[in-house]
Amino acid sequence: MKSERPARSLNELTLDSKFNIKELISQESFDVLLRSLNELFAVPLRVFSTDGGLFSEVGPASQLQVYLGTLPGARRVVRETVEQVKSAAPEGDRDVRLIGETSERYAVIALNYDGRPLGRAVVGPYLLPSDGMPPQSLAKCDPLVSTERLEKVWAELSRCDDASITRLVRHLRSMLGLILFSGHRALLASNMHIASVQESFRELSEKSATLQTAYERLKELDRLKSNFLATVSHELRTPLTSIIGYSEMLVAGIAGDINDEQRDFIGTIHDKGEQLLELIKGLLDLTKLESGTLNLHKLDTPILPILKDIVHTLTPTARNKGVILSATGDAGLPTLWGDAARLRQVFLNLTENAIKFTPSGGHVTLSAQIAHVELPTDEEGPAIVLRGVKRPMIEVRVADTGIGIPESERARVFDAFYQVDSSSTREQGGTGLGLSIVKRLVDAHDGTVDIGENDPRGAVFVVRIPCKRLSFFG
Amino acid sequence: MQLDFTARELTIKLVYYGPALSGKTTNLQALHAASAPEATGRLMTLETRDDRTLFFDLLPLTFGSDKGLSVRLKVFTVPGQVIHASTRRLVLQGADGVVFVADSREAETEHNAESFRDLRENLKQNGLNTKQLPLVLQFNKRDLPSVRTEAELTEMAAQGKEPVYLAVATKGQGVVDTFVGLLHLTWQTLDLRHAFTEKFGLESSAFFADVLNKLNDRRTLPEVLNSRVGGRSARKEMSL
Repeated sequence: MKSERPARSLNELTLDSKFNIKELISQESFDVLLRSLNELFAVPLRVFSTDGGLFSEVGPASQLQVYLGTLPGARRVVRETVEQVKSAAPEGDRDVRLIGETSERYAVIALNYDGRPLGRAVVGPYLLPSDGMPPQSLAKCDPLVSTERLEKVWAELSRCDDASITRLVRHLRSMLGLILFSGHRALLASNMHIASVQESFRELSEKSATLQTAYERLKELDRLKSNFLATVSHELRTPLTSIIGYSEMLVAGIAGDINDEQRDFIGTIHDKGEQLLELIKGLLDLTKLESGTLNLHKLDTPILPILKDIVHTLTPTARNKGVILSATGDAGLPTLWGDAARLRQVFLNLTENAIKFTPSGGHVTLSAQIAHVELPTDEEGPAIVLRGVKRPMIEVRVADTGIGIPESERARVFDAFYQVDSSSTREQGGTGLGLSIVKRLVDAHDGTVDIGENDPRGAVFVVRIPCKRLSFFG
Repeated sequence: MQLDFTARELTIKLVYYGPALSGKTTNLQALHAASAPEATGRLMTLETRDDRTLFFDLLPLTFGSDKGLSVRLKVFTVPGQVIHASTRRLVLQGADGVVFVADSREAETEHNAESFRDLRENLKQNGLNTKQLPLVLQFNKRDLPSVRTEAELTEMAAQGKEPVYLAVATKGQGVVDTFVGLLHLTWQTLDLRHAFTEKFGLESSAFFADVLNKLNDRRTLPEVLNSRVGGRSARKEMSL
């Protein structure tokens, strides 16, 4: 967003100083000032802005001019008086005193602020107390002038001595100076407030734009990393399929007879190829889970068949290690809301892990039961009060009697590539990907996975998956 | 700077910069008190409730004759408090010269340095830099105890190019010197760029005589300029 400059910049306001009187004072407050001066000195006052427009006036119109204006021959005298006042050019602090064609007196004052013209003030028409009778020239300016009428309006004109006019001018000037100064100060202060706010806004906008750019860049880098991993994994898998396929064909004797030693070697190639393939698949899954592109096909899924299938699959492995593997669960368990293939992956991984870390003679037990889990109270959502407080979940515990996981390590075992024993001489193999995939898959099922202690020894992985989708969240 | 050819008017903007409470407003008040009424307008202070400068102080001064060029000076201060950073930057816009008012006390040395870094940064944001901009330094509050010694300041000032003035603004000491010092430096810099003395047939010496006269200072310009310490390059341009 582009920040706009204030209506007038600070420099314009303080350096140019081309003010309009209306910007600095309101006409109403000016009227008040003129009225009180008029009350004190009883002479008419008028103020014009620099363009000649009347800004404020106080005091009655001259009845002499009103009367003369009604007579065709005398109108000229009034017009000329107005012209005289208009063309008076006071300079600086000196006012111009003049006697018009109508024999009325005026004082014309230049109004300045900070050395710049703001307009003019006109005091009058008035007469000196010594101006006794109307002059003969006035009586003769039109044959229709009635002497009696002329004397009457003449007598009604404002009268003021020169010293009072000088005082009036001085008061007007000093009060006006103060008012203009206050007006200017207020104008500057308000403009500075606006300008400061805009400047702060500009500064913050710049900073937030920088942060936004950095954020976009990081996001892009992250996306590139995921893309790269996905591409590389895919490219690695293609040749590996051939390696595994051809080694299988060699073992099967399709290319001719092989001796036992050769069979043994090729078997190793095949096994390591499979191992590598698993690792690549894991990487692919992880990147998909991280980028959110893994599609889960969630359905109402019974858990027991999955656990039984895993026991069936892993029994040979367990038997080789001398570990007893079993699964238990109530046949009446409700279904859970999930992707059967992915859940199988979760429990296969956990069970393999359990077998791996359980010494000969130990047990690995898979058990499923229903658990009613309290919803976290700080959870936000629409109309939370309408939802049940407890949520039915299927809890699967994978317990082993192995080496266990120290409490301090439990939170970190789900990080990708993390191994509790990361020394190069560690006893157990593995890529360190399995548990991080488990964690992400369980998360994708809106479930939880925790690690506990098995009594008297070993670890328990507790996975909880909701039985029903949360309709509140769609 | 603004030069109005038709009105034969030159407007120059000078800014007093420095850390909070170093005496910038006091400098302007002393300058205002020293100057002749016909040369100066009201000192305008836009202040907060705790009497610190919120936006700026503005002192308008007018010099020069009606016949030649009339020179209007707008002297500003900026608020020293850290919270008014954006205001400082705004007031610095279009500055023709800067006085940096430093607090002489030993304990304030770090604040002075911090404020000067801030000045440099804000000038940069306004497309200016301390190398091009006319700059004079003032060490204020010389009358307080535990100030940096004059010998030390003189020795260090001799190594820098900026003129340095010592002042007690509360007593009006060094205030006119600092101001005239900056005006002189600014005048030379601007004249070099715009040649207004030539265009308007204006005598620099006459102008500065008028300035000193209206500031009620009986000294000559060289006398005033010589009251500084340090400022190597300025020394060469001493004579007018």
